[in-house]
Amino acid sequence: MTASNLIDNEAGTLSRDIFSSEEIFGREVKRVIAPAWSYVGHTSQVPNSGDFFASRCGVERVIVTRDPSGAINVLSNSCRHRGMPVCRYDSGNSADFTCSYHGWSYALDGALTGVPKFRELYQGKLEKEKWGLIKARVSIFHGSIWATFDDAVPAFEDYIGEDMLFYLRTLLQGPDGEDDGYEVIGGIVKWQVPCNWKFGAENFAGDHYHGYSHLSVERLSVGTSGKKSRHNFAADKTARQPMFLADPARGHTIRASVYREVPEYTVQEAASDEVNDYYRKAHEEKCRRLGDHARLLIHGGVIFPNTHFNSAGRTTIGVWLPISAARTEVWRWLFVPRNAPAVVKDTLREYYLRYAGPAGLVEQDDMENWTAAQRGTEGLMSSKYPFNYQLAMGLERRARPDEWLGRNVTITENTTEHNQRVFYAHWASRMEQQP
Amino acid sequence: MSVANQTDLVDALLIKSEVEDFFSLESELLDERRFDEWLDLLHEDLYYWMPIASNVRFDQPEREYTRGRGEANWFDEGKDILRKRVQQIQGGDHWAEEPRSRTTHLVANVRVASTQGGDIGTKCRFVVYTNRLEHDTELFVGKRVDVLRRENGQLKLVRREIYLDQSVLMSRTLTTFF
Repeated sequence: MTASNLIDNEAGTLSRDIFSSEEIFGREVKRVIAPAWSYVGHTSQVPNSGDFFASRCGVERVIVTRDPSGAINVLSNSCRHRGMPVCRYDSGNSADFTCSYHGWSYALDGALTGVPKFRELYQGKLEKEKWGLIKARVSIFHGSIWATFDDAVPAFEDYIGEDMLFYLRTLLQGPDGEDDGYEVIGGIVKWQVPCNWKFGAENFAGDHYHGYSHLSVERLSVGTSGKKSRHNFAADKTARQPMFLADPARGHTIRASVYREVPEYTVQEAASDEVNDYYRKAHEEKCRRLGDHARLLIHGGVIFPNTHFNSAGRTTIGVWLPISAARTEVWRWLFVPRNAPAVVKDTLREYYLRYAGPAGLVEQDDMENWTAAQRGTEGLMSSKYPFNYQLAMGLERRARPDEWLGRNVTITENTTEHNQRVFYAHWASRMEQQP
Repeated sequence: MSVANQTDLVDALLIKSEVEDFFSLESELLDERRFDEWLDLLHEDLYYWMPIASNVRFDQPEREYTRGRGEANWFDEGKDILRKRVQQIQGGDHWAEEPRSRTTHLVANVRVASTQGGDIGTKCRFVVYTNRLEHDTELFVGKRVDVLRRENGQLKLVRREIYLDQSVLMSRTLTTFF
């Protein structure tokens, strides 16, 4: 079966098989997940020489290290001799990594440095320089670390594209609009969901239609606005236009709003005075720094295929890690403004914890619904009936006259499934290419 | 339990029995979904914390769990947020708990570790079994370190540290209380 039989973009439908078939899953890992730049972490996690943490690049287990030269390396965590993980820890500081099986050891840049009985048993003939840890291509973008093991994938800047580079840079600006304004708090949040990874991806790509999922939390006040809502921007005084942006050539998608004018500060009444003052000053600074571009509020999005982020007052980046057609592991990094007082960082951290992840009042209902949707892909009869992605078809336009919003993206105002359609169209085009 | 004499021993046993009874009542209220009554057992100053475990080197045990008040945690909150969680479950449209899970909370190996003023420091082990819908079953096993405070003659939970024996959470949600 070809991908074009699975997805009908004219009709706005797609086959349920893309969520349930292990055969399709096997192909998409090779054709969609592997040939991609993936977010693997943030430079603030490895400030010093020897610092490392375990991460994932698609389905590959990797170690992210800072070596003595200051460079950041993303290394396959698999010994070249028998494939063992050479690093057994989730994070730490080390001069090297030694495999626990036969004792081969590797430097922080992946070079094979130690082979037990090199002279006696290998007669000194092993070509060590050829047997270092497999190294990923690495790109650092405003503190975020990206990697791929695929040599055929375009350079990072071309893969992300100029439009998404702008959004990614904006995402990583602090509340005061300063570049590289964030740092990661300790502890990557990791959990498993019994659903296909694309349910998470398409939700983050552009689903603002699922308000019904979150009725139970909208009645509560979980943000810092003091309003009954899950969002801090519920207290906005300046009108804004929701916008859904998609890069059809690359498959990346953004959920955002654009304020009609440079917005007034949105008072966060539930936060302490100190926190409120910080955000008020940061907002003024941001408006001064960014000018008209301060009208942009990023809600979230997906860097194709499986890197996702949320924003709008709470910046998190994560990855959907495919385990099988019906199982996904989620890793989530939580960001706080690097230069903010501790009380601000902690207020934000508490907001994340009650919002996101398996214990989050909001995302619990997302995970429940994706799991239930997965069940809906399993019936023999029902799988003959496609899913419906027809919401607001044909309403997308180019960014003109607001060209600063992107030269290559399509924009849809108001709720749409156009972003999901772009995501799946790109998925289909990747699936049809030979790996 | 190290005690100097018979009177102290009886006092210690009474306290232990009271603590065990408190934990059993908590389990009963949670499993019978009497969440408001469970909230009544919590002190207004409750600190409720479940850190995230990670795999660290043997000689760095202090790094095994994320720190509360500063790092990512599964739970790091007070009674105000727990009250919201209960409200959410009671609305009938919190889909992760609608229809509600069947739960059984078991608490074992209860030990009184310290008594100071009105505060009783305790340690125990827990097994929480949850089952929902047709065959969604989860098992949460771990250790708890709790502090109970006596106020107006009544014990209230004022601090709960929950150490779950998982690093990657193998469950899609944490909608139960520990």
